[in-house]
Amino acid sequence: MIYEESYVKKRKIKSFIALSLSTLAAFLGLFWLGFILFDVLRHGISGLNLELFTEDPAPPGIPGGGLRHAFVGQLEIVFFATIIGVPVGMLAGIFIAEYARGTKFAKTISILSDIMVSVPSIVVGTFIYAILVKPIGQINYGGILAVAFLSAISAFIFGAVLNLFVSKILLKIIKITSESAVKILNLVITLTTVLFGIFLFIYLMPKLVDRIQGFNGWAGATALAFIMIPVVLRTTEDMLSLVPWSLREAAFALGASYYNVIKDVVIRASMTGILTGVILSISRVAGETAPLLFTSFNNSFFTMNMNEPIASLTVTIFVYATGPYEDWHTQAWAASFVITFFILLVTIVARAIIHWRYKG
Amino acid sequence: MKKIRRLPLSDIFFGIISFSASFLVLTLIFSTIFVLYDESSLAIHRFGIINFILTEDWNPVKEIFGAAAPLYGTLVTTVLSLLFAIPVALGIAIFLSEVSPHLLKTPVGIAIEMLAAIPSIIYGMWGLFTLAPIMADYIEPALQNTLGQIPIIGKLFEGTPQGIDLFTASVVLSIMIIPFIASIARDSLNLTPNLMKESAYALGATKWDVVKDVMIPYAKLGIYGGIVLALGRALGETMAVAFVLGNRHEISASLFDAAATITVTLANEFTEADSDVYLSSLFYLALILFVMSFIILAVAKFFLLRAERGYSR
Repeated sequence: MIYEESYVKKRKIKSFIALSLSTLAAFLGLFWLGFILFDVLRHGISGLNLELFTEDPAPPGIPGGGLRHAFVGQLEIVFFATIIGVPVGMLAGIFIAEYARGTKFAKTISILSDIMVSVPSIVVGTFIYAILVKPIGQINYGGILAVAFLSAISAFIFGAVLNLFVSKILLKIIKITSESAVKILNLVITLTTVLFGIFLFIYLMPKLVDRIQGFNGWAGATALAFIMIPVVLRTTEDMLSLVPWSLREAAFALGASYYNVIKDVVIRASMTGILTGVILSISRVAGETAPLLFTSFNNSFFTMNMNEPIASLTVTIFVYATGPYEDWHTQAWAASFVITFFILLVTIVARAIIHWRYKG
Repeated sequence: MKKIRRLPLSDIFFGIISFSASFLVLTLIFSTIFVLYDESSLAIHRFGIINFILTEDWNPVKEIFGAAAPLYGTLVTTVLSLLFAIPVALGIAIFLSEVSPHLLKTPVGIAIEMLAAIPSIIYGMWGLFTLAPIMADYIEPALQNTLGQIPIIGKLFEGTPQGIDLFTASVVLSIMIIPFIASIARDSLNLTPNLMKESAYALGATKWDVVKDVMIPYAKLGIYGGIVLALGRALGETMAVAFVLGNRHEISASLFDAAATITVTLANEFTEADSDVYLSSLFYLALILFVMSFIILAVAKFFLLRAERGYSR
């Protein structure tokens, strides 16, 4: 049986070679990761000092100075993007996972947001440019919409906090038991919330829309929120669908409305997962550059005013890295170091939480 | 007896709010298409569709714009990066699902996914300051001396190696898309039923035979989905490419020449567009990119959904 033995041997050798090649591929992947991280570390460490965070940039070509303006701008843009993007994404996710569970509408939204997650981020930038930056000197419908939206969201958060405050603290102290009193209190809370929203709209309208001239921080935040919404939506949907249906049935059996079931049972059961998803989406958005290029643009001076062009870390890295000065390159590397390791840390921690909570 | 209300007010209120939030997603997509079309209508009327795609000129002074060069650049970088990435990514997927010892699976898997978490601007910086010099000094001359000597293929490797060219951009892109293909392919390979693998082993198959003849055919749809998804990602990548491609609106056969992609053109010229036609042409490019990537991502989603359905059967 010499023929068969050599045949088996040949196949074994073939298998060995193929599998070694796949191991080599894995090493190649790890090599790229190590190479990039090591390089960022090597170049970034040398430029890292306290001045980077506390000082504004020196005039071009003169050594010294820092990137305080970019750090603050980045924080501001990402903060407002979170404020806009997370509530919308979460509410939409709740709707398609709960009220519209299993319907065609839910499936369509789910698939479309999966596609939106991967849509080129620079196209998002051009879209936001067209609606929030370009309309100078004419009625700024995009701006009005943005302000209306912002005040609605703020009022929503305000109402939620007020509700929490009243139900958790005030009622415990005063001890109201009459049902109609609670109803009146609820009405008062709702009215205050609505009034707050309207007041905010009227207050912000002339402040924001009139003064926005061209590039502005709001546009940047909106562009990032655009990218955030589908990410948050999909995580919320996934996390809600992990909550066993029997848990909801138990609450329904007690006579709870669907709203109460969602608020007190479903969301509570999936809070860790949703929050982790939110954190992951923030870290995803924090590294985006392309959508900021023509929305919040860039600013070489320190500003906290979102109505002006505002610097962000990523755009600053782009400008500094392609600029001619050696000093700029060092600072760009240092900023890259900060942003990369921040994002990697957040991603790893968030993944560990998901792993520990849902698989372990 | 108290009357039971069918739908409490809070339910209606919350339902309406959350519905409008999910409807907003739909609105965003359609308004993106509408706004981009509206903004680019000037260029569409002036240059037409076929004419715009086939014209190589990009002349802001004479106000003649054509998308041929950026489209060509996008196409070449995308195809090349897929060519580089697919074998490596599949190798990684096979390693993670079959070869790797159990202890290494999670750490290596997370490390590969970390590649996807690194912001694209870091890839760009790294490509410009680290990879481009290496390419210009070692790899590109080496390629010219070997592959460049072959008569017809040699055309691809002509010119002085600068490091800022299509080839480097494709390499950077390929590193970026490896994790997308690898993680989806690994998940699909892992779904192969053990019964099928064990039957193959019982017939005397080697590990490679099992991978090649049982697992890959089984996971085929998922792998296609991952590849198409990566294609969509590579198409729309901006910052990583912007650093290492230059911005040159000319089509040349050599891979060692600077070029432009749609995204790079947008990133470099959008804020500098001084005439209406110029800006409108840039919006036109964005529209083309959006439609292209939307279709490709929809195809990817179609494959992945089909794959999911197949596995659960």
